[in-house]
Amino acid sequence: MTRTASFAALIAASLAAAPVALASDLTVNVEGIAKAQGSIMLGLFDEASYEGDGAVNGANLKVDGNSVTVTFEGLEPGEYAVRLYHDVNDDGEMNTNPFGMPTEPFAFSNDAKGRFGPAKWDDAKFTVAADGTTHTITMN
Amino acid sequence: MDLSRRHFMEAGLGASLAGAVGAGLGLPASAETQNMPAWHLGYQNAPAGGFDPTPMKLVFGKAPSDLKGSLYRNGPSQLNYGDAYASHWFDGDGMIHRIAIEDGQAVHQARFVETRKREEEQAAQTFLAPGFGTIGDESYSVESPDDTNAANTSVLVVNGELLALWEAGSAFSMDAETLETKGPKTWRDDLKGMPFLAHPKVEPDGRVWNLAVGGPRVGIYRIGANGALEDFGMVNIGRAAYIHDWTMSERHLIILVQPWINENLRPPVVAGFEWQPQHGLQMLIVDKDDFSNQRWVQAPPRMFYHTGSAWEESDGTIKFDAAFYKEPVLGVDGGSAEIRGEWSGEYATEEGVLTLVEIPPQGDAKLLETGVIGEFPQVDPRYRGKHRNLVALASGASTARPGATALAVHNWTSGESQSFEFGYNRMVEEFLFVPKQGGQSDLDSWLVGPVLNIKSGVREICVFDAAHVSDGPVCIWQADYAWPLGFHGTWA
Repeated sequence: MTRTASFAALIAASLAAAPVALASDLTVNVEGIAKAQGSIMLGLFDEASYEGDGAVNGANLKVDGNSVTVTFEGLEPGEYAVRLYHDVNDDGEMNTNPFGMPTEPFAFSNDAKGRFGPAKWDDAKFTVAADGTTHTITMN
Repeated sequence: MDLSRRHFMEAGLGASLAGAVGAGLGLPASAETQNMPAWHLGYQNAPAGGFDPTPMKLVFGKAPSDLKGSLYRNGPSQLNYGDAYASHWFDGDGMIHRIAIEDGQAVHQARFVETRKREEEQAAQTFLAPGFGTIGDESYSVESPDDTNAANTSVLVVNGELLALWEAGSAFSMDAETLETKGPKTWRDDLKGMPFLAHPKVEPDGRVWNLAVGGPRVGIYRIGANGALEDFGMVNIGRAAYIHDWTMSERHLIILVQPWINENLRPPVVAGFEWQPQHGLQMLIVDKDDFSNQRWVQAPPRMFYHTGSAWEESDGTIKFDAAFYKEPVLGVDGGSAEIRGEWSGEYATEEGVLTLVEIPPQGDAKLLETGVIGEFPQVDPRYRGKHRNLVALASGASTARPGATALAVHNWTSGESQSFEFGYNRMVEEFLFVPKQGGQSDLDSWLVGPVLNIKSGVREICVFDAAHVSDGPVCIWQADYAWPLGFHGTWA
């Protein structure tokens, strides 16, 4: 307990000590949404989390037009990637056909495409700069 | 064979077309095709813009007055970009042809199916997409089966909607008049991107059944004559067998699980096949009214691409006809040599054998082989799933060139076969039954199909009387240009 507490205190102290360096903002614009309904389910990943299930951050964005925008604040500058899908029927899941192929639109940062699987990290990664970054993803 | 008619076809027709050949073909000779054998005309690219509606000329016989409708056909029509040749016949972009026949006139038109593969490869002027025999370019993204869809195998018209069919992805909706591409067909939102085999089965009343094959898991579509999906269910066939075609009786779906297995459906797909004859040919018989009501039947090992159709006897015996091979042939190398203009003649002896499969109410299936060789078996659409007499095949073979040389018809009732041998100069494709007006049986049918005249370098559409095939064609229309060999068609 003591060790955990002191570790947490150390984190808190370092955060407080260097707020400018760690407080980059990332704005993600998602454009070209085909249906003005449902939600864009968006996950933000770093390299370590990209192949897994746990995103470093995320957002569920109601769709009422052909674009949505979200801003993540206080990110550590560095490389990130976005994976998203359009939950058209708002059932909270990425629907698939009986053979497991997605039936709802999906996209990756850099508009990267996969080849018999999700887009690779190297194709989807982009840099969040110290002074903030805006990244636009176009659905098709 | 009617010698005088043959003489006319070989001598008279050829001579009369000498001028037309020189005047220009639909398929322009390019540097890499100039030294090809004459039969390679069947593998040369169609014009990128297709063919605008062009009347064909009646060059032989008299057109049946009751023959009215459109012969739609599909086939791979882009098999090379310069010196880069497709490595499998299944990987060429589909082109939809329409030969509209009415009042004795025939008008041909055609368009490529504008798939993503087609659009990107045309822009780059090279092959990019992975496929049946093609690894593809690493830069070409694949997020759905339709990203590699060549839409090149067959066509279906349901409730007036024309669909270009492939087997590993969606059907593509086309304009039945202009042949312009509309896009992938989604039968229901939750079935987006599901495969739709190129051999749907249409009941005489217009209801359509088809399969979606994904390894051992098989989906079953039931589509009403109005074009709406009525039902979709899943069955498991146990093994990732290659399923190009299947068959259907009035009451049952018959899924043939041939021992040609591919557990790794990654491009090039053809490299992953393994012949496992120890399994034999197994068949899953599925009740049309209850997909969970199933029965397995065993038969000796056979490889096949195509069936005719099934029917049921009063005692419950199911019978169907198919072109069977003792082991995998043809599609294994996918015509990669022919596409390059090479022909060793070895495949000429590896013909499909017209076989009747008898499935008794209990026990194993029996195979009754005929002496008829051929492919692309076809039956009268009025008798799909029902007892009938006739099956027609593209038949004959030559050691001098690939492709069929004859049209054959076998009568299961009489046990007799007829054929018409076109000879070396005409490559014979699939012929379709078109019922005669007021006909009483499938003997009262026309057979309509294309041949490629490699002597004159032009296309011909031939009509036969199904009951008198050996008498030769009833009439022939001729285009003054050629288009490449195709796979399958439909009459609508």
